[in-house]
Amino acid sequence: MLQLLSQLVAALKGIGLNYDFLLAADERSAFLHGLVVTIQLSLATIVFSLLAGFALAAMLVSRTRWIAFGARAFVEVTRNTPTLVQLYCAFLVLNMLITQALKASGGNPLTPFIWVVLVISLHKGAFHAESLRAGIQAVPAVTLEAAASLGFSRRRQLWLVQLPLAVRFALPSLINNLVDLVKMTTVASAIAVGDVTYQSIMIWTQRDNVLELMLLMLAFFGLLTYLVNLAGRRLEHHLRMPGYGG
Amino acid sequence: MADSMDGAYAGNAPLLPQAGWRRPAWVLAALLVVLALSQWPALRQAPLAKHLLTWSPALLLGMLANIQISVLAMLIGTLAGLVIGALQLSGLRVVRVLTHCYVQTFRNAPMLILIYFSTYVFPFEIHVGAHYVAFPDWLKVTLGLALPASANVAEIFRGAILSIPAAQWEAASSLAFRRTQLLRWIILPQCLRRMLPPWMNLYAGITMGTALASLVGVHDLLDTAQIASTTVNRVDFTVAIYFTTLLLFFVYCYPISRYTHYLERKYAFT
Repeated sequence: MLQLLSQLVAALKGIGLNYDFLLAADERSAFLHGLVVTIQLSLATIVFSLLAGFALAAMLVSRTRWIAFGARAFVEVTRNTPTLVQLYCAFLVLNMLITQALKASGGNPLTPFIWVVLVISLHKGAFHAESLRAGIQAVPAVTLEAAASLGFSRRRQLWLVQLPLAVRFALPSLINNLVDLVKMTTVASAIAVGDVTYQSIMIWTQRDNVLELMLLMLAFFGLLTYLVNLAGRRLEHHLRMPGYGG
Repeated sequence: MADSMDGAYAGNAPLLPQAGWRRPAWVLAALLVVLALSQWPALRQAPLAKHLLTWSPALLLGMLANIQISVLAMLIGTLAGLVIGALQLSGLRVVRVLTHCYVQTFRNAPMLILIYFSTYVFPFEIHVGAHYVAFPDWLKVTLGLALPASANVAEIFRGAILSIPAAQWEAASSLAFRRTQLLRWIILPQCLRRMLPPWMNLYAGITMGTALASLVGVHDLLDTAQIASTTVNRVDFTVAIYFTTLLLFFVYCYPISRYTHYLERKYAFT
């Protein structure tokens, strides 16, 4: 296995690419660990962003004016400010305040990893919520009237009729959001979460092989986004209902 | 585009809150302004406000750097993207495949990686004849952002051209328009309309991407905020400066987003 790797590295050196770090055990394991962390980050944020998206979408269409207004304000602020600034506001400001508040009672349990998951989940949750809201609006009024005439309460209308249809309408744009989300996990490196970007920076400051690591990372993110897209297409196909959507 | 559905379906959404939420928002904003103005003499003496006033010119200059990078990146990206988008519709298969690869690569690459790429892989000065011309970091970041911008513009342009029904081409040529006339007077005006909302969305996205420039040491708004926060080193100032940064980005991007929304409604299904 290792022999194969060193042959590969030697072959790549022939075309001017220096992948020597793969032969150093510590750097190789750091890089592999970075890949694992990025995958963990992506999976955790996908799950939590969808949960946040559903919650926000339900709030957006709430009849209680203040809930709807609060959700709308949150979505607009989140969609129109950079993720990195949000991450700093959360990690450098809120985290600092929490640390100060909890100094007496044994320290802050929140890690940078948790903050990144939180911030990206809420950020992408706002985008999911907008997609879902558009999907909810696309559900024909007659369908809801039919449900109401069958005695469905408003809550049951939302969960059993509106959302299942809305998800199908919103699915293509939700998948777009998830692809974006995977790309967005790279900002984790800004607060020293050991994701693949962070590990690559550590390696290239030692070895000055930026181009080689870039190519690896682009390939890795290409693969990840391809997988998300593929899973999304499968789900779209699986959920397809005659008469709704393409 | 999910957003473009809004205009068409707004009519049958009885369960949605109406636009009335705007009113409390305005009242709240007006109250805050009145409160701030009435307390102004006292506020100005507070150490927090003093620090904020001292740093505000630097913050605005930083914001200007962000705007400069975003405008230039969008300009380069649009010019390149239009050429690439046109090439994507070329009759030559090789050209189509190559441009398709370009678009897919740079649309799917994380922006941060492209910024690192342009910052560390491009040389720090360029040899032009006998002169060395400096290649500053902000310009590299601009090029790094222009890459995804161009790929996205190419895709927007291609989508717009393909969205014009074939009947339009046929009708125009049956009216004896020449091909250049046909493009100039029939196809492109319709394309521009369809391209404008996604193009503006892209611009807002690129503007938000410029915040990443601070990670490679460009003196932008976020970098200024970090410097200010560590220099002043007060808890309340740190809170204020980061949320001011957030607010400044919001104030710049939100109108763009509202106007895009308005255009989407206006051009929907026409």
